[in-house]
Amino acid sequence: MSDAPRSRALPRLLSVLAALAGSLLLLFLAAPLIELVGTSGGEGLRRLGTDAELRGSLALTALCATTATLLGALGGTPLAYMLARRDFPGRAVLSAVLDLPLLIPHPVAGIALLLLLGRESAVGGAALEFGFRIIGTPLGIVSAMLFVSAPLFVSGAREAFAKVDARYEGVARTLGDTPWRAFHRVTLPLAGRGLLAASVVMWARAVSEFGAIVILTYNPKVASVLSYDRFTSFGLSEALPVAAALALLALLPLTVLRALRPESRAER
Amino acid sequence: MIRFDGIAATKGRFELRDVTFALDPGAYGVVIGPAGSGKTTLLEVAAGLLAPSAGRLEVGGVDAHALPPEDRRVGLVYQHAFLFPHLSVRENVAYGAADDATLDEAAARMGVTELMSREVRGLSGGERQLVALARALARRPRLLLLDEPFSALDPRRRAVIRREVRALHGAWGLTTLQVTHDFAEAGMLGDQAILLDGGRVLQSGTPAEVFRRPASPYVAEFLGAENVLAGAARDLGEAAPDWIDGAPAEHAHGHRAFAFDSEGLTLYAVGDFAAGAGHAVIRAEEITLSRDQRHDSARNRFAGRVIEVVTLGALTRVTIEVRGVPIVAALTTRSATELALEPGLAVVASFKAMAVHLC
Repeated sequence: MSDAPRSRALPRLLSVLAALAGSLLLLFLAAPLIELVGTSGGEGLRRLGTDAELRGSLALTALCATTATLLGALGGTPLAYMLARRDFPGRAVLSAVLDLPLLIPHPVAGIALLLLLGRESAVGGAALEFGFRIIGTPLGIVSAMLFVSAPLFVSGAREAFAKVDARYEGVARTLGDTPWRAFHRVTLPLAGRGLLAASVVMWARAVSEFGAIVILTYNPKVASVLSYDRFTSFGLSEALPVAAALALLALLPLTVLRALRPESRAER
Repeated sequence: MIRFDGIAATKGRFELRDVTFALDPGAYGVVIGPAGSGKTTLLEVAAGLLAPSAGRLEVGGVDAHALPPEDRRVGLVYQHAFLFPHLSVRENVAYGAADDATLDEAAARMGVTELMSREVRGLSGGERQLVALARALARRPRLLLLDEPFSALDPRRRAVIRREVRALHGAWGLTTLQVTHDFAEAGMLGDQAILLDGGRVLQSGTPAEVFRRPASPYVAEFLGAENVLAGAARDLGEAAPDWIDGAPAEHAHGHRAFAFDSEGLTLYAVGDFAAGAGHAVIRAEEITLSRDQRHDSARNRFAGRVIEVVTLGALTRVTIEVRGVPIVAALTTRSATELALEPGLAVVASFKAMAVHLC
């Protein structure tokens, strides 16, 4: 009889400890952002009306992130489809290469891109010959954003394609479709939500990039670089509105993802 | 219409090995096999969705090696339908339809006309299969590939749709290859039965041939033969006319009589077999039971005792013990009731020599 209460007490204690650990982590993740947006969100929104540099920086950030996402989706979609559908020698190596930008420190990514795209490099030099400067321009920003965030798109898109049973395409082929037509009429619509979600994740990552961009293109300043610049130049009080505005901008993709998720659960 | 010649193919853990058979234009072939035997893989090779690793495949008399699925004019229906969920029922059926008239006829025959305005998501399993059938038929294929297409239908609707598919098969001159695990369905539909197991063709022929003359004891058991006895056959010479049902004296030539010894029983068989070790197969429905010795043409007659009586609707399976050997007979429940069969009852089991198949 005396063993029964003891045997119930331990699982209960473990449940309480697990809940406590989870709550502490949640608090740690949420508290800084709640504090930031709560104390400075209003000021950040007000500054949009008066601070032309902030407005321009946010617009530049959004435009470059969108461009990088479009380029990433263009190149990443066929790559993701191939990884999802085909079994070929070197597939694992290719997957590992795609994961590398996610693993290396972002300033290191910036330095690697500088080697590839800088004035002294073959690519950078050739671009200059055609009148294009990469480093220190929005092109450099897009390059950095693309490098660090495209793997996220490929990963998400690959999962989206993998969730579409290949037999749908097979049936479409027997109904007269060429492989491209079957992809266009069947696979793409069925993977659409997943591809959109992957694009949103890529865009969110691109918007928040700092380390690679600060090496490649300090000026013009994207929002993350501007918040760092204001912090180092003028202190926390000047950096807070920029940081809050950037945090609010990051909420946008989160809202879109939430809107996508309930229906994608039903499709499964 | 379609010829498999030494075809080998692998898909995941499913493998086909040395598959060889042919279906003439207009034939209705049925592939029977247990789960994992490679039936669906076979259909996918025929459709061009899976490239064979060896062998030759001809579709419509043409080497199919370079013929992509969209050019083979096949209609494929998977067991799970695979309707396009982002399209309506009408859009699904119309997807590859030859023309509006064919679309309407296919929809009407499969009984899905009333479903056309609906979305796919709300359909039941049976409705999905019917729409998938209509979609494949609307293309007016020359080769129809069906993977357990009636499995989600209730018995009444299954019978109706089976008839409609068979009727369209005939009316449109289709060649059909259907996968099923139900041999009764094979018998109802098929001109040719292909038994597949472990990725290999065990036997092919008309359903009646395969049913009555299984190539091996494994095939016999696979097809549900209840009585498969191991033993040895002795050639008794040319069979007498009265060994062969109703055949006049001159037709006895070429039929040989055999005695088959198994576990203390001696059975008599007639046919074209080889003497020596083998198996005797007697289907349960070939065995007649009576309460006393009756005088009929049956060569095989044994006294035994009822062990078990199992009623399965209109049929009853009776297991009797004959000199220690269990023999299963199948008779109508009405007959079983009239005989008042119950465990322990002494009965006489009899069957004709023609009912014994040696393999």
